[in-house]
Amino acid sequence: MGVLEVRDLSKHYGDVRAVDGISFTVDAGEVFGFLGPNGAGKTTTIRTLLGFLRPTDGSGTVLGADCTDEPAMIEAKRSIGYLPANPAFEESATGREILDLHGSIKGESRRAELLELFDPPLDRRVREYSSGNKQKLGIIQAFMHDPELVVMDEPTSGLDPLMQQRFNGFVREERDRGTTVFFSSHVLSEVRRVCDRVAILRNGRLVTTERIESLLDRSGKYVHARIRGQVGADAFDDNVVHDLEQVVVDEEDGDDTGGGEGAGDDSVTVTEVRFTYTGDVNELLASLSSHQLLDLDVEEAPLEEVFMRFYGAESGPVAENGGGQDV
Amino acid sequence: MFEVARYEARRRLRGAVYLSIGLSLLAGMYIGTFPSIATDVDLDEFIEQMPEIFTELFNIATMNTIEGFLAAELYSIGWTLLLGLYVAYSAASLIAEDIDRDRMDILLSLPISRAQLLGEKFLALLVPIVVVNVFVPIVVYVGTAAVGYPIDPINLAMVHALSIPYLLACAGIGLVLSVLVDRATIAQRGSLVLLFGLFLFESLTVVAGYDWLGSIAPMRYFNPTGVLVESSYDLLGGAILMVGTAVLVVGSALYFRRRDVE
Repeated sequence: MGVLEVRDLSKHYGDVRAVDGISFTVDAGEVFGFLGPNGAGKTTTIRTLLGFLRPTDGSGTVLGADCTDEPAMIEAKRSIGYLPANPAFEESATGREILDLHGSIKGESRRAELLELFDPPLDRRVREYSSGNKQKLGIIQAFMHDPELVVMDEPTSGLDPLMQQRFNGFVREERDRGTTVFFSSHVLSEVRRVCDRVAILRNGRLVTTERIESLLDRSGKYVHARIRGQVGADAFDDNVVHDLEQVVVDEEDGDDTGGGEGAGDDSVTVTEVRFTYTGDVNELLASLSSHQLLDLDVEEAPLEEVFMRFYGAESGPVAENGGGQDV
Repeated sequence: MFEVARYEARRRLRGAVYLSIGLSLLAGMYIGTFPSIATDVDLDEFIEQMPEIFTELFNIATMNTIEGFLAAELYSIGWTLLLGLYVAYSAASLIAEDIDRDRMDILLSLPISRAQLLGEKFLALLVPIVVVNVFVPIVVYVGTAAVGYPIDPINLAMVHALSIPYLLACAGIGLVLSVLVDRATIAQRGSLVLLFGLFLFESLTVVAGYDWLGSIAPMRYFNPTGVLVESSYDLLGGAILMVGTAVLVVGSALYFRRRDVE
């Protein structure tokens, strides 16, 4: 049985379907990423699973407890750590007072050890905390009672890059000691370093659940090249090239010393090429090297691109094409 | 058990002390002016000229004794109205403010029930209520003795003891708003308006001859003038207020248990 099991879970607000019939299972000991753009329904799903919201339909169990069964959830929460998206604490309390309260209710066997890794100024009032310090306090309270399952909503959003790295290392160590980690993110690059599996949510619906490697293999690179001269229309046409855009422009060469009439002599023909590449990087370089490059950008495709490419827009061009072929 | 209550109680202690000092100053001011008023003016003659609503609002029986004077000035205004508003406002903040400021999620992730969280937060309101009602009567007794008009200590103790169920009922009203409304400022202001409205309404119904209508107001069951001037203790009123408080708190807890926390 999964540590977290979600069956056809829906949460509607009137006509707005914040979460619409999603199902997935998180197994014991895995780091599970819950990916999706802002507003996809990640936070609503998490808050429903923790019992803060009542599902409109479907069910969720956390450590075997039905999320709508308060007594069962109270028992489960002894072994759950939770870090909300923007952890907030009573402004006039000090970090120490807050950890004392949490410790007295759920235990604090790992408090000292966590304070060495994440060190918010405990004796200052939360009012004086930076968002990074609030995040650290949130991380400590989420892990201090040595939970079996930790649920985190956008955990690295408030952390600086150095702290993010430390956090990623920490999550990997947690997995190695057997903790199940479920966290949401809208940044693929953040998730790829720590997750075993990911579920992708879009407009309240689950698009896919898969291992992180297979997602990364397919996510591709975003390529933008500026090439001197004209390029044949089929130069980059390949089944691993997507959304190819090719524009030919005449550009001024820069030293415009000649007369205004002779513009043709001083201008250069440049082909701007943009596409997303999902094939072997070596082959990409080989095909690019046959051209004279003026500039080249290769970057990881943003999450939105990945969504659009593999899972289509809401009405799905893939489905439309499929229908067309049948006729 | 009671971890939240202990935490909240500790955090309320300082405010309770400040509140006690403030109300002691107010009491001292009234007590300090009484000797000159008592010798120079006949306030009762003056009061007879006032419209009935005025004497009804401030529960005025007589102003020529220290008991009647303090009952009308300090207890009708300071306790029934100001302190009532204060605890209602504090109770209105209990749940709504944590939700409004996104603090509720972390509290709800603790392994305690929503009803327990609410109950313990409410319980911690006893800190300001009790501290004020222990501290201020001592100041009042010593003060009245010092100016030569010592107040009866038994009646004084009773008026403060009976104010506790009254204040808890005011807090109960604030708590209901706190679970009904997500925006803290609306819950807080709403509780002030509601309590002040009940205060006016209770007196108006008496003046208008519809006494029974005013029996929904907690002010009906706490009568400082009766205690201080006539030594009549409305113990049944106190009991009604305790039952009313219980109903309000349990009702709030039941609703809070079921609702979505956005």
